[in-house]
Amino acid sequence: MSNWYSENRENIVVSTRIRLARNLSGLPFPSRMTAEQFSELNEKVKEAIFESNTPFAKSMSFIYMDSVPEIEKYSMVERHIISPEFAANSKGRAIVISEDESVSIMIGEEDHLRIQVILGGMGLEEAYDIAERLDYLLCDRLNVAFDSELGFLTGCPTNLGTGLRASVMLHLPMLENSGEISSLADSVGKIGFTVRGMYGEGSKATASFYQVSNQITLGISEKNAIDNLKLIAMQLIEKENKARETLNKLKTEDMCFRALGTLQNARLISGNEMMKLLSGIKLGADMGIIKVKESPIKLFIEGQPYMLMRKFGEMGPDERDIYRANMIRETLN
Amino acid sequence: MLCEKCGKNNATTHIKSVVNGVVSEKNLCGYCAAKEGYSGLAHNSLAGMLASMFGDVTGFAPSVAAKKCSVCGASFSDIAESGRVGCSECYKAFYEELLPYLKRVHGGTKHAGRVPNKAPLMVKPKEITVDDLRLKLNELVREEKFEEAAVIRDKIKEMEEKGNE
Repeated sequence: MSNWYSENRENIVVSTRIRLARNLSGLPFPSRMTAEQFSELNEKVKEAIFESNTPFAKSMSFIYMDSVPEIEKYSMVERHIISPEFAANSKGRAIVISEDESVSIMIGEEDHLRIQVILGGMGLEEAYDIAERLDYLLCDRLNVAFDSELGFLTGCPTNLGTGLRASVMLHLPMLENSGEISSLADSVGKIGFTVRGMYGEGSKATASFYQVSNQITLGISEKNAIDNLKLIAMQLIEKENKARETLNKLKTEDMCFRALGTLQNARLISGNEMMKLLSGIKLGADMGIIKVKESPIKLFIEGQPYMLMRKFGEMGPDERDIYRANMIRETLN
Repeated sequence: MLCEKCGKNNATTHIKSVVNGVVSEKNLCGYCAAKEGYSGLAHNSLAGMLASMFGDVTGFAPSVAAKKCSVCGASFSDIAESGRVGCSECYKAFYEELLPYLKRVHGGTKHAGRVPNKAPLMVKPKEITVDDLRLKLNELVREEKFEEAAVIRDKIKEMEEKGNE
């Protein structure tokens, strides 16, 4: 079993995510639903998936969010499986999730169903194929709200049409350093795409990781939205690679080894320090300057606060800095 | 009405706020409103960012703002304020009102993606097509209502000319 973040990929593209927003006819949207309606929705989706004889039915689990402890819930946010909003408003909600967590359906987030596929590296078509198959299964068995003019009907009019949000997460330290990323983000914004931080809506970029995604969902087909996103990602990657060519080799080497030295030896590491150092190490590893024993992205995710507490038990931030440093030291030495 | 604060200028800004369920109302002049931090009101709420795409709700006629979805009960002002509709039927109830905003957000207003094998909701009021008119024309001719038929014939001609432009 491997998650999107567990494999070592020497690539600017960290991950790919596809999300489809779907709703059922005859039920108000989640913002106006009662507790009874949430359980009605949960059971309908459960039945649709598990009474189908498809491979999905065999590989997915149905989990009531009320049975999920807080630490696990927020660690799911850190693993990009659920949104922070869903973690905070999960009462009476449920999630359908595959064993490797690459495929999931949040039930009762902003829409009745949020189908998500998340894969490591660049895999837009592959991720969309999986999401579409799951979507077919659901649309065949549930009364999905659809209109021939407006497409799939969603809680927020910004998702109308395909209900598709496709995104790729890119590691762009050089474009961030030169400040070029903000002007690129502006021009990408003008053509219906958005560049934002690692944890989605409203979040700031963390350690040079940026999510690029489509904004427009009405009047454009899924394929076009994905193709355009891919083109934009490719251009950002090319610019990042060009900027990397201008790097002073010795200085970069020095920066990478210093970062590695700190991570291999420190006894206390805060989350921010870890993310900054791992970002430097990723740059060095991707450029072939240094070799690391473990994927920097894996350490990045596993060193997040709730991920640490999930593994080592509940603790305060000071104690987490100790456990984080220990975990990284043991992995990298 | 004069401004409650300075008592000199005309009150042009009406502020209605709900804090912990308590509704309070203020009538201020533009100057005092700005001094109290009431400029850019639409961005005050959590949903403000989303709602800003609908513009100012107060710009709508009261009858529009109060119009309600017969299925979920959401009013147009609920939708404009939260940036979210209440249920799928809201798109039918508020199609005309939402259309300009959809255009602003997406550029297009016609779905171009995947179609599930299910009956659509039909949110858009049905447009009369040339084919509909031809059927009507035939009917009128059969019933020998030639004067009415002539009107329809002209309409068809007009629509076809428009289509050819």
